[in-house]
Amino acid sequence: MSSKINGHVSPQPCPHLLVFRSRNGPKPFRALQDCIRVKPPGGRAAIRREPTEVPRCGTCEESSRSRLYACVACAAVFCHAPLLHSHASDHSLSIPGHEIAVDVDRAELFCCACGDQVYDRDFDAAVVLAQTVNATATTSTSGSTAMQCSVAGSQPENLRKRRRVDYRPWEPDSGEHISRGNQSIPLLDATNASLVSSTQQPWGFRGLNNLGNTCFMNSILQALLHTPPLRNYFLGDRHNRYYCQQKNGAINGTKNSRLCLACDMDALFSAVFSGDRTPYSPAKFLYSWWQHAANLASYEQQDAHEFFISMLEGIHEKVEKDKRKSQSPGSGDCCIAHRVFSGILRSDVMCMVCGFTSTTYDPCVDISLDLEPNQGGSGKSSSAKSLNSFNFEADCMRPNQNCGISTLKGCLERFTRAEKLGSDQKLFCQKCQVRQESLKQMSIRKLPLVSCFHVKRFEHSSIRKMSRKVDRYLQFPFSLDMAPYLSSSILRSRFGNRIFPFDGDEQDASNDLSTEFELFAVVTHSGRLDAGHYVTYLRLSNQWYKCDDAWITQVNESIVRAAQGYMMFYVQKVLYYKESENQGTS
Amino acid sequence: MSHSHKLVIKRSSMSRPPPPPPTTNKDQQHQNPSLQEINIKLIQSGEKERLKELLRERLLECGWIDEMKALCRAFTRKKGRNNVTVDDLVHVISPKGRASVPNSMKAELLQRIRAFLASTAD
Repeated sequence: MSSKINGHVSPQPCPHLLVFRSRNGPKPFRALQDCIRVKPPGGRAAIRREPTEVPRCGTCEESSRSRLYACVACAAVFCHAPLLHSHASDHSLSIPGHEIAVDVDRAELFCCACGDQVYDRDFDAAVVLAQTVNATATTSTSGSTAMQCSVAGSQPENLRKRRRVDYRPWEPDSGEHISRGNQSIPLLDATNASLVSSTQQPWGFRGLNNLGNTCFMNSILQALLHTPPLRNYFLGDRHNRYYCQQKNGAINGTKNSRLCLACDMDALFSAVFSGDRTPYSPAKFLYSWWQHAANLASYEQQDAHEFFISMLEGIHEKVEKDKRKSQSPGSGDCCIAHRVFSGILRSDVMCMVCGFTSTTYDPCVDISLDLEPNQGGSGKSSSAKSLNSFNFEADCMRPNQNCGISTLKGCLERFTRAEKLGSDQKLFCQKCQVRQESLKQMSIRKLPLVSCFHVKRFEHSSIRKMSRKVDRYLQFPFSLDMAPYLSSSILRSRFGNRIFPFDGDEQDASNDLSTEFELFAVVTHSGRLDAGHYVTYLRLSNQWYKCDDAWITQVNESIVRAAQGYMMFYVQKVLYYKESENQGTS
Repeated sequence: MSHSHKLVIKRSSMSRPPPPPPTTNKDQQHQNPSLQEINIKLIQSGEKERLKELLRERLLECGWIDEMKALCRAFTRKKGRNNVTVDDLVHVISPKGRASVPNSMKAELLQRIRAFLASTAD
């Protein structure tokens, strides 16, 4: 399902650069690459002939100029301040072929004749390689993200709190008020008052009966029933089950053609949001799902995450028969499942020998995260340590890191960290034409409307024929800003302004509504691998509710914070509606 | 009765804040270092790089970098992407950039440089 996008948008070289390249062989900047020095505090690349060189202008002897350039042809250094005096320009005019220079403090190529920056792919690759080598060499065993700390060691996400779009809650306009009154029947009026529970639970809360180890299904269904864009889609009658069945019955006429998980979802939404508070038995739904996922049809407990994935696939499959719609899940145009959950992951693989990077994009409906192998990320096994016996001095590598406790953000940081692949995992480099050791880094190219994070708590080893569950607590935030994990952030902090395939990423990132997400559902698992129970916590207007099969109760947020998260659902903040206090008033 | 000394400054670029008056009598004994010498000392000890990183962080925090980026974008949009060079941008935003650096930041950097020079004075 992956597509290679190597459409590098490189700026056109100026005529002086072209002439320079043609005169100086296939590797015109080779000698320059030996002068690349990476400086410790910020990991920035500079050009120095000797490591301790203090560059100064050959004409005026000044070292305190803000822009000093070294001529690539003759290595002489000159200052450049175009309106006052530019000894670099003087030099370039005096000797033909000496127009190309390099900024000694920024390691960026410059054409003195054009007065503008120029780019060379090989040179930039060499700079990035030097920065990478420097960063990985200084990575401590605690696994701190040296790759991403190339700017002043502080995390950008703590400093940038600028929202691009102001958050405004939705209010119906006058037209919508009218149509609400004319064409709808209030579900909750005086005659239905007996159905309203005394605890005044919000709309759409209905327990789901356990049909025999079906809590894996109930927990996911509760989360989906309250996934804002999904809920709005079905309650907005965007998939009408009567119309759909009528249409399909006419086309194929066989019983199988009427299998449509979206129709079953529609029926479920209708039942749960009907106002009837008595627990509902999703038997029809279970039966439909069994028909779709025959291999998972049994009375045994299933994995909630597997159910979630197969459900989305089931909804998608149905739509595939509609040829008019685009089929690519990445765009989200194919079906509501992908429209809501599908994001795009970007994978950059860099050859450690020549610096050539290949980029691939893959759609994904969720992100599966590994829990840290050890507490606090230290190299030693800490299974004997309990939460109380932490040595904060030793375990804290950074003052703002929450010592010893696994966090969702920590998992995401590790997910987007540049990782050196082992020597047994050499990947083929297009430039070197052989398998080389590589550096791989994941990042998020496009955020979905709803981000689902799946914590890999179940380890199945087919070799040892055993499975085990990882019970370690994972801390997760109620509000999450995904900006630091976007491709634009990850690549910018790693590459600076080198020409690397951004593919117009910059523009797309600025078009994104927001990177802020709100938690609205947590699926938790308690118990053992073979005898466990799933429970879902739902959050509506800052109030938490526990959905335990047929029982829905209001709970304190501290219960949720302490729960063992297995799947966490975050929705884009602009879609997270706060329910009004009055229910069912018009 | 104190002599008034002025640090020798080579006016090599746009306006700088006025030099601070010396506070100790020690300066009268030793020759005041030139800007060149100070600069070299800062570079060779690695202090300049550290100060630059600190400055970058401060400018980022207060939104100055975002402002400069916005100015560059606006200028580029007006002129057309292919009609703008690095030199143009430097020329256009340098005065605005220098003018909008907060005084507190200037004071902090100046203090650090003074402290560094005092600690390494021979």
